[in-house]
Amino acid sequence: MTQTSGRKLSMHQKQNIIGWFFLIPATVLIFWLSFYPMIRALMISFQGGRPTALTWSDPLTRNYKFLLKDRVFIQSLKNTFTYLIIQVPIMLVLAMIFATLLNDHQLKFKGLFRTCIFLPCATALVAYSLIFRTMFAYDGMVNAVLVKIGILNEPVNWLNNPSTAKAVIIIALIWRWTGYNMIFYLSSMQSIDYSVYEAARIDGAGAATQLFKITIPLLKPIILVTAIMSTNGTLQLFDESVNLTKGGPANATITMSHYIYNTMFQNNPNFGYAAAMSFVILILVAVLSAIQMKVGDKRE
Amino acid sequence: MKKLISLLLALVMVLSLGSAAFAAPGDQADGKLTIWCWDKTFNIAAMEKAKEMYQAEHPDVEIDIEEVLSEDIESRVIASNGDTTTLPDIVLVQDHSIQKFVTNYPEVYHDITDEFDFSDFMPAKLGLSVVDGRNYGIPFDAGTVVAAWRTDYLEEAGYTVDDLTDIDMDRFLEIARDVKEKTGMPMLSGQAGAVDTVLIMLQSCGGSMFNEDGTANIAGNEKLKAVIETYNTMVAEGIFIEVNSWDEYIGTLSNGSVVGTFTGCWILSTIMSLTDQAGKWAVTNMPAMVGVDGATNYSNNGGSSWAIINNKDIDLALDFMQMYRNVDFYNEILPTTSAIACYGPAKEGSNYTAASEFFNGDAVFAKIVEFGDKVPAEVTGPYYYDARGNVGTAVTNALNGGDLDSELQTAQDTTEFTMGF
Repeated sequence: MTQTSGRKLSMHQKQNIIGWFFLIPATVLIFWLSFYPMIRALMISFQGGRPTALTWSDPLTRNYKFLLKDRVFIQSLKNTFTYLIIQVPIMLVLAMIFATLLNDHQLKFKGLFRTCIFLPCATALVAYSLIFRTMFAYDGMVNAVLVKIGILNEPVNWLNNPSTAKAVIIIALIWRWTGYNMIFYLSSMQSIDYSVYEAARIDGAGAATQLFKITIPLLKPIILVTAIMSTNGTLQLFDESVNLTKGGPANATITMSHYIYNTMFQNNPNFGYAAAMSFVILILVAVLSAIQMKVGDKRE
Repeated sequence: MKKLISLLLALVMVLSLGSAAFAAPGDQADGKLTIWCWDKTFNIAAMEKAKEMYQAEHPDVEIDIEEVLSEDIESRVIASNGDTTTLPDIVLVQDHSIQKFVTNYPEVYHDITDEFDFSDFMPAKLGLSVVDGRNYGIPFDAGTVVAAWRTDYLEEAGYTVDDLTDIDMDRFLEIARDVKEKTGMPMLSGQAGAVDTVLIMLQSCGGSMFNEDGTANIAGNEKLKAVIETYNTMVAEGIFIEVNSWDEYIGTLSNGSVVGTFTGCWILSTIMSLTDQAGKWAVTNMPAMVGVDGATNYSNNGGSSWAIINNKDIDLALDFMQMYRNVDFYNEILPTTSAIACYGPAKEGSNYTAASEFFNGDAVFAKIVEFGDKVPAEVTGPYYYDARGNVGTAVTNALNGGDLDSELQTAQDTTEFTMGF
C-alpha cells in the first residue's frame, strides 16, 4: 500500500503532465517547421558554394561583408525604405480618418462602407498587382481617363520611369492595405465608451479635440501594433515588385525580398548570400520594432 | 500511463502517414516517362507528336507530358535542391540556363555524352549545352533570328521586303525614319529592360557578354557599346517602341501597331496564328551592324534543349529521345509548330522546302535553315542571366541620360561581384 502510494502522482502533477501532453504536438510542429528552418538558414548564411555542396565561408562573415559592397542590394534597401517612409504614414493616417468617419453613430450604411474599404484586403496579391499593371500600362485605363479629362496632355509611361513606377507601387500598397489597418482602429474605437465623447462634447470639445485628446491616446497600443505590422510587411515586400514592375526600370523599384528571390531563382543560385540577406531583413525589422515600441510605449 | 503510450503511438502513426504521402512515386526504371515543357503550340505539340510516333512502336510505354512554365521548372529544380524524386524523367531547359543548372546541380542532370549520338546536330547549338566537355542537352529548336515585316505597311511607304534584305543598320535607320514619317508607324517593339534586341544584335556580329575563359566582357566591349548606341538611337527616335510586358509586345504585333520585329524564328508560330493577317507578312534576314568587325545579318535568340534527369528511367528516356534523330518526326512537327530542327538531315524533309501559304508562297523554313548556317557562334556561361540583368540596367540608365561607358563599367563590376563568390 505504501509502496504504490509513493509512485502515485498527485492531482497537480497529473494535470501538469496532461497539459504538457497537449502542448507536445504544437511544440514539435513549431520547432520542426519554424525554428529548425530558421536555425538552418542562419547556418547557411555563413556558407557558400554550390547549393548541394555548401561549405563554410572563409572568413565566416564573408556573405555579410559582401552585402556592404553590393550595389543592387543597397539600391533595394533604399527602395524599400522609400516605400516605408512614404507609404506607411499615409496609409495609417488614411486608415485613422476612415475609421473615425465610420465610427460616427449617425452614419447610414455603415456596413456597406466598411466592407467596401476592407474588400481590397481580400484580393490576392498577384491578382491585384496584375490589375494595377494593366491599369497603369501605356495604353491602360489610367492614361486614357487622365488624357480624356484633360489632366495629362499625352500618356505617361508610368511603369517605365523610376519615380512614377515607385509612385504606382505606393498607390497600390495604400489601396490594398488601408482597409486592413482601418479595421483594427475601428474595432478598438468601438470599445471606447460613447459616454466619454458625450462628456467631452458637454465640456465643449470639438471633433478635432476629441480625436487628438481622446481617440488617439486611447488607441495608442493598437496604433503601435499596426505601425510595427506595416513596417514588417513593407520590409518584406515582394509580390508588388515582382508582378507590377519586375523590379524595373533598371532596379529602380526592386525590393529586398525580390532581390533575394532573384539571387536564388533568377541569377546563378547563391543560397548563402540569399540567407544572409534574409537575416539583414530580420535584424532591420527587430531594430525598427524596438525603436517603435520604445517611442510608442511611454507609460509614466 | 497505458493511455498515454497508446496516444503517443497514435500520434507517431499519424505523423508517419503524413510523411508517406509526401514521398513521390516513380523512381528508376518503371517503364513510364514524365516530361515537363511549357508551350502548347510549340514544344508540347512537338512532344505529343513524338509520343504518338513512339507509342505506335512501343504501345506499353506510358508517356505523360505536363505543362510546366519554364520559370516554374527552374524554381522546382532549385527548390528540390539536388533531390530528383519530385522531378520528371525529361525536362526542357532554356539554352542559356543549361550551363547554370548543370554547374550548380551536376547530380540532377544526366551526362549523356556517351549514350546519345550527337553527330549531325548543329555544332553552335550543341555548344550551349556542353559543360566541361560533356553533353547535357539534346537540341530541340533553333532560335535562328528572322526579321518579319508587314508588307502592306512597307508598301504604303514605298518599300518592299527586298529593300530590307541584306542591309546594314544605316540603311535600316534611313528606311525606318522614312516609314515613320509616311505612315507614323514604328518599325519595332520590345520589352523595356529585357535586352533581347540588344543581345540579338550583339551576337549578329559575333559578340558576347563573356570572354572565352568565362570572365565578364562588358566594360570596354566595343561591339556591345556600338549595339547599345544603335538600340538607344532607335528608341530615342521612336523607331523602336519599348513596352512593359511580353503580352504588350505580342499585342503590338497582333494589333498591327508596329511594322514588324526581328527575333527568334519561334515568333512565326505566333505570327502565323494571326490568320486575319495572312499574306501580309514577309520574312527576311535582320539588318547588320555598322562599323564593327564580323557583322552579319544573322543571329540567334532563345531556343531550348531536352535534359535527362538522373535516378529515373534513363534507358527508356534515351530510347524515346532517339525520336530527335528522326527526319520524319521533324518533318511532321514543322507545319504546326514551326520548330526549326537543329538536326542537319531534317532539312531534307518535304515540309522544309514547301511553300508557305501564309507568307505568299515563300519557302520560309528553307530560308531559316539557310540563315541558321550563317549564325556566328556564341560564348555563354552560368552567369548569363546575372550579366543580362546588369546590361539591361545599363541600357535603361543610358537611355535616361546616363553615361554609357560608366554604366557598362558598373554592369561589369556588378557581374564580377557576383562571380567573385
